Amino acid sequence: MTGVPPSLYLGVSVALFLLGLIGVMIRRNPLMLLLAVELLLNAANVALVGFSRYWGNTDGHIFALVVMVVAAAEVVVGLGLVVAVFRNRLRLDVDEMSTMKG
Amino acid sequence: MGERITFAVAAAAALISAGLVITLKSAFRAAVSLIVTLISVAVLFLIQSAQFVAAIQVIVYAGAIVVLFLFVIAYLGERRVEETVDPLGRMHVFGWLTALGLGGFAALAIANSRLPGLRDDPRKVGNIGGPEAIGQTFLNHQLVAFEATSLVLLVAAVGAVVLAKRAGGAGVGR
Amino acid sequence: METNLGWIVLALPLAGALILSLWPGEPPKAVTRAVGVGSVFLAFVLTAVVFAGMLGDDPSSRSHVDGLWEWITVGDLRVDLAIQIDPLSVLMMLVITGVGFLIHLYSTEYMAHSAGYRRFFAEMNFFVFSMLLLVQAANFVFLIVGWAFVGLASYLLIGFDYDRPAAVAAAKKAFVINVIGDVGMVIAAWLIMREVGSLDYGAVLSAAPGAFGDSGVADAVALLLFVGAAAKSAQVPLHTWLPDAMEGPTPVSALIHAATMVTAGVYLVVRTHALYEIAPVAGDVVAVVGGVTLLMAATIAVAQVDIKRVLAWSTVSQIGYMIMGAGLGAYAGAMFHFLTHAFFKALLFLAAGIVIHALAGEQSMDRMGGLNRYLRFAYFAIAVGCLAIAGIPGLSGFFSKDEILAVALEAGTLGIVLWVMGTVAAALTAFYMFRLLFRTFHATEPEGGYAHTPHPSGWAMNVPVAILAVLAAIGGWLQVPGGWHAISDWLAPVLADVPEPLEATTRGEWITSLVTSGLALVAIGAAWKIFGRDDTRRRALARRFAGPRPVLEEAYLFDEVYEQTVVQPGRDLADAMLTGVEPRGVQGIVVAAATTVRDAAVGMRALQTGLVRTYVFAVAAGAVVVAVVIALVR
Repeated sequence: MTGVPPSLYLGVSVALFLLGLIGVMIRRNPLMLLLAVELLLNAANVALVGFSRYWGNTDGHIFALVVMVVAAAEVVVGLGLVVAVFRNRLRLDVDEMSTMKG
Repeated sequence: MGERITFAVAAAAALISAGLVITLKSAFRAAVSLIVTLISVAVLFLIQSAQFVAAIQVIVYAGAIVVLFLFVIAYLGERRVEETVDPLGRMHVFGWLTALGLGGFAALAIANSRLPGLRDDPRKVGNIGGPEAIGQTFLNHQLVAFEATSLVLLVAAVGAVVLAKRAGGAGVGR
Repeated sequence: METNLGWIVLALPLAGALILSLWPGEPPKAVTRAVGVGSVFLAFVLTAVVFAGMLGDDPSSRSHVDGLWEWITVGDLRVDLAIQIDPLSVLMMLVITGVGFLIHLYSTEYMAHSAGYRRFFAEMNFFVFSMLLLVQAANFVFLIVGWAFVGLASYLLIGFDYDRPAAVAAAKKAFVINVIGDVGMVIAAWLIMREVGSLDYGAVLSAAPGAFGDSGVADAVALLLFVGAAAKSAQVPLHTWLPDAMEGPTPVSALIHAATMVTAGVYLVVRTHALYEIAPVAGDVVAVVGGVTLLMAATIAVAQVDIKRVLAWSTVSQIGYMIMGAGLGAYAGAMFHFLTHAFFKALLFLAAGIVIHALAGEQSMDRMGGLNRYLRFAYFAIAVGCLAIAGIPGLSGFFSKDEILAVALEAGTLGIVLWVMGTVAAALTAFYMFRLLFRTFHATEPEGGYAHTPHPSGWAMNVPVAILAVLAAIGGWLQVPGGWHAISDWLAPVLADVPEPLEATTRGEWITSLVTSGLALVAIGAAWKIFGRDDTRRRALARRFAGPRPVLEEAYLFDEVYEQTVVQPGRDLADAMLTGVEPRGVQGIVVAAATTVRDAAVGMRALQTGLVRTYVFAVAAGAVVVAVVIALVR
């Protein structure tokens, strides 16, 4: 036993994911929300790369790169929204952005 | 043995800094912690022969995205993003419980998985993470996904411009 | 060649109607005139070309059928979009487009003050198209389409002045009664389809003698078709709509409710004569209905005061003659009377229209009288029309009406009875028509003067009336007993399959002619005595007949009876449904469904907090639940 079994990488991925999930649930600052979402995406990437190595092909890497692209797009739009909310002098609190409730 | 040590250090750094990301009061510090997480994850990629993805992780994630975060935080000012007492405080408990439940089930799933060799030493793999392999796969097998990502980026760029324009048009950015 | 021209004839008025309807904004009146009148005139010219071409053909090869495309195919049944050009349809087409053109021309002046100028011509063109479709159709499906279209055109034009409640009510009544006929025709078409397996005229009529198992089915088909014919041609008991239809503008009454549409029933009976030949009961029913109608309508016309209603009842009566003739088997005679009637009744309506136009819409004969000093042209025109319809020897009505009556004389006991009824009605016809003439143009001016100073009409109204007056005078010479038989010869190819055609004998024709002309002259003399000079005799007579007069004025109370037996129960039923069933049944179910959904939604709304974090929690908790379920199931 010299290497690291894939299951440990999956464990790291799960731990990262749970931390991100908790972050999304307990933070109200939209910036913190976006940071926590980055954690979620990274957790997924760790799992993808881990399985890519397990199967010995490149598809997982491709998937991880696509996830990064999506993350970039999401951050651009998300931060744009944050700035737009800020410019309209609203409080930066996701709980305040609830006008679409029933 | 080298992989094990690297893995232990990188995984510990990633989890500790991720914990800081979600707990630190200051958004600025949280963003800096995120950089640590991302670089640690990049190290994890590197030891799994994902050189190209690791490089992109550092360049795009740590280099571009987090810088964008820091820029916005600096633009808005530290004070405005302070948080007050959470009216949904009681929900935190359930949130943690749910997370623990999910984690427990994930651990069970990994421990009981029937995939061969999941809990053993990894097999030797060839060069699966170099730029050439990535390029071959992207352009030979995943061309649609490639084009779709460019479309996603285009839409996001247009959306960001529209958002910026509309916010300015509202007459608040004097 | 004939059928190609036939398609064009059919398309021209349709194009006119479409152009006038779709023209953006209000087209200039000159355009409306050019399109509305021009399309019908061109159709007439082309019909004349077809007619001339067929004259040169051998009589046996004058029937042409042409299908544009397959319209309906269901199992073995195949219905084509097809027209049939044969002597019968060409005769109808000539009258529809010819008289139609004259009436369109007349309307350009008559309707000049109407706000709906464009609408009027669009609807008139649509009517001409529908009527052409009706007579050109080569199968029963197409016939029913045209049949329904003319009903629609009639509805639209009766209700032309849609701001007058009376006009709207009359339009509705005409439409509803016509739909009764449509239903009869549809059922008849279904029976034919079941028995023969085809709806083409050619197949059905040539197969008719053997195709219907027993005469009971043939009788049923023929009677159901006659329900349609009776509704369209205003025969008892479905006649009540036609007098009310006089609410429409006078040119409409002339074209639709005198010259063409109301004779569609006669056309139908003649077209499907093969069915009536093998359905003796139906033929007799048709003849009796025609006889009853012609006598009844003639008696009603005597007591009417409204000038157009006199003409309307006269139309009912004259169509009664045609229906009677067709029922007895005198098909050529019926079509001959259709032709002459189209001339003299259109003439009478149009000339009456001049009077009405001159008096700014006044239609009551109580407000007329002594008009011959102001409206000499209309006076002469109506005089010609009256002489023609009264059956004065030499004019058209004499020849055509007497031919039907002379044939009736040969049709056994029933024929004799019908002959008596027809002869009496002929005398009444002469009486009420000259009553109209004398009360309008002779007698004395009404107390209090006219509603409007009478003014003479322009050329656009006079020319059609003059042409029709000439036709009404000489049209009868097409067919002279003992001389020549242009109409019978022309229709001979269509009627060739009649096994034993009824022929009038010379003796019968002499008897009929002498009796009817003598009675007509007596009736005219009586009318002159009573109505010619002043009001005293008329008023004395009205007092003496104070009892029966209201019955005649109200047309034997048919409307009243229908109101009590059909309309009022229907209204009661609707009221009961409205107050009893609807609020609890229909409305109740709808309201209950809506309330349930709304209450459920109010409950569900609590879940929509709008807080993103609760949604995230819900997703995560859901994942846990799914995981637990999977773990337990395994």
